[in-house]
Amino acid sequence: MGEKQDCSKTAGKPIRCRAAVARKSMEPLVIEEVIVAPPKAYEVRIKVLCTSLCYSDITFWKRNEPGFYPVILGHESVGVVESVGDGVDEFKEGDIVIPQWMAECKECETCTSNKTNICSKFPFSISTFSCRDETSRFTDLNGQTLNHFLYVSSFSEYTVVDIVHLTKLDFSIPPNKACLLSCGVSTGVGAAWRAADVESGSTVAIFGLGVIGFAVAEGSRLRGAKRIIGVDLNPEKFELGKKYGITDFIDVRKCKNKSVSEIINEMTDGGADYCFECAGSTDVMQDAFNSCRRGWGKTIVLGVEKPNQKLSLDSLVILHSGKTLIGSLFGGSKPKTDIPILAQSYMNKELQLDGFITHEMKLEDINKAFELLIQGKCLRCVMWMD
Amino acid sequence: MDKTKKVSSKSTSGKPIRCRAAVARKAGEPLVIEEVIVAPPQTGEVRVKIICTSLCYSDVTFLNLKDPPACFPRILGHEAVGVIESVGEGVSEFVEGDMVIPTFMSECGECTDCKSKKSNLCSKFPFQISPWLHDGTSRFTDLKGETIHHFLFVSSFTEYTVLHVANVTKVDSAIPPNRACLLACGVSTGVGAAWKSANVEAGSTVAIFGLGSIGLAVAEGARLCGAAKIIGVDINPEKFETAKAFGVTDFVDSRSTGDKRVSQIIIEMTDGGADYCFECVGRAFLVEEAFASSRKGWGKTIVLGVDQPGSQLKFTSFDVLHLGKTISGSLFGGLKPKTDIQTLIKRYMDKELELDKFVTHEVGFEDINKAFDLLIGGKSLRCVIWMDK
Repeated sequence: MGEKQDCSKTAGKPIRCRAAVARKSMEPLVIEEVIVAPPKAYEVRIKVLCTSLCYSDITFWKRNEPGFYPVILGHESVGVVESVGDGVDEFKEGDIVIPQWMAECKECETCTSNKTNICSKFPFSISTFSCRDETSRFTDLNGQTLNHFLYVSSFSEYTVVDIVHLTKLDFSIPPNKACLLSCGVSTGVGAAWRAADVESGSTVAIFGLGVIGFAVAEGSRLRGAKRIIGVDLNPEKFELGKKYGITDFIDVRKCKNKSVSEIINEMTDGGADYCFECAGSTDVMQDAFNSCRRGWGKTIVLGVEKPNQKLSLDSLVILHSGKTLIGSLFGGSKPKTDIPILAQSYMNKELQLDGFITHEMKLEDINKAFELLIQGKCLRCVMWMD
Repeated sequence: MDKTKKVSSKSTSGKPIRCRAAVARKAGEPLVIEEVIVAPPQTGEVRVKIICTSLCYSDVTFLNLKDPPACFPRILGHEAVGVIESVGEGVSEFVEGDMVIPTFMSECGECTDCKSKKSNLCSKFPFQISPWLHDGTSRFTDLKGETIHHFLFVSSFTEYTVLHVANVTKVDSAIPPNRACLLACGVSTGVGAAWKSANVEAGSTVAIFGLGSIGLAVAEGARLCGAAKIIGVDINPEKFETAKAFGVTDFVDSRSTGDKRVSQIIIEMTDGGADYCFECVGRAFLVEEAFASSRKGWGKTIVLGVDQPGSQLKFTSFDVLHLGKTISGSLFGGLKPKTDIQTLIKRYMDKELELDKFVTHEVGFEDINKAFDLLIGGKSLRCVIWMDK
């Protein structure tokens, strides 16, 4: 870690490097050479050390949105600053940085408030550009523009990221652990910590045991939750979940006569204090809402559904039950503050990250990573650039 | 305690009382003033002589509804103040002569919810639109011996009623009765929603959908919490002038917004959305509009209005996930009756909480149906019905 780059040779010039380019929906990514332009004002060009695959990369690769392709996917990564554009004081060549899709300008009303992490100066959207000036820094060898993805585009040896989408790490942490903190794990742990504020002794129910779900469990465990119930269709997730503090399991496919929420209400004598939806399905959101405790139960939605899918809640239940529904991006965490806190917690041997990495490979094997995740056969596949 | 107001227990304690009540006999029809028999209180119950009672829209809803949970004959009314006439076995919390406010919200004081600060939803005696007291029986019969149903565990449109102690709060007799009764439902719900459920902070922006008594009580609560901007949304612009007295600073006439949606207007007025939105009507589309009007990042929407059973609120998954907003509902403004009503009384006596402006009409018991006409016609906020007039 902290390798010195011979950046004086490349600063200010385009860099030719390898990237995994998604050219068509549902088709394998193509490893090819691309040109990465130097960073413009308020941007940083980064040499990516490693990157991991998150289900949201797959979600967008499956959707065939017009104008989306060709694109460099990837949004979980860690890298080293190669060069900085004009007006950048926060970062310098050689810094270890984690790019993230959640912006934090640190100046707007929302960034300065401790009530939310949704930056209003750079609101989140599915953009195809680098950030502020609606252009791309990537072209292929034919000169065709390649789109950015979620302001990160980490499936490339080099990428260009806006400073509001970048967090510096002042200390050493293994890169394959660091990259996990830029999306999935921070979202899950953050949700238990920031969005829900799980108290010690609470009962938590987690719907969907992917990386987000396990990260919620890990976060709840760290907060002292007494009981963590995992709900999933795949019984193989259960054994794995124990490592993250999951104490009870519900196999959805075995719930014939009773609904999941009925079972949870029985198990917990009235419902869980906190329910987390980590699957991205409005039906599951409803189950989660029905499973949280009357009086004070909170349901937190983390999963990414199709944008226009409707979540339906009974009006009188909302009125009478005292339950709350919250949605949360990035678990309510502010990246520039909270990512370093989580990294430190890992280095202090509190936050467990090792178990999230089930496979490590090279960028060339990225399509294998896609297959593994689609089939539910992995948690995080980390791809090393070198 | 003024002894002239003390009920003579020697003559009635332990015996049925024959008195006047306004009975709802048929859906949609005026209440019938008739004599009824009120049984003595059983174990854990008290019998209360009602001093005055006020009309709340939920009474109107259950008079007009034909299907369950509506039922007939029934003694409606749930906002009231009275005096303990006699107590049942095992009751030590109250004595004859105590001034009390009955509440539809139970507080047993023993269950997990009652002991928790986070909930006011007693699980021992959960909220429901029940025709009975908690033991599944009625204390009312008419002169033919037919059972008359209770309403919301209170039934205050009668000279005497019987309640479980969990539904009774003792109050300082210094507060005038025609102010005390307001705290049994509407005003507490609205003020509580701003204070407890939402926890409105000083300087916040609040949007209130529906400027009936609940909406105005929310405004009053938000005003007391120091809200900087209180936007009132209603279909009836005549409500705006009155609403100013309750702290409402800006108005949106939802029938005159042209091409724009109410939420768009509120977002423009507040540069991003209101910090807190309250739905005080009971319509799903308004709840959704309120949700849309709340501020991205931290906007909280609180549902207070009572909709039709089965009504569904629909939110797009994208809005739920990406906007950082919260939605929850609140019964009785999140207040615990036995503690929080007294706090509101103190604030009234200290001249902070203003209650006078809620009472727009006062009538005698025989004119109770006039109160219904006024409310249904949108001509009143709270009409107080005095038993002894």
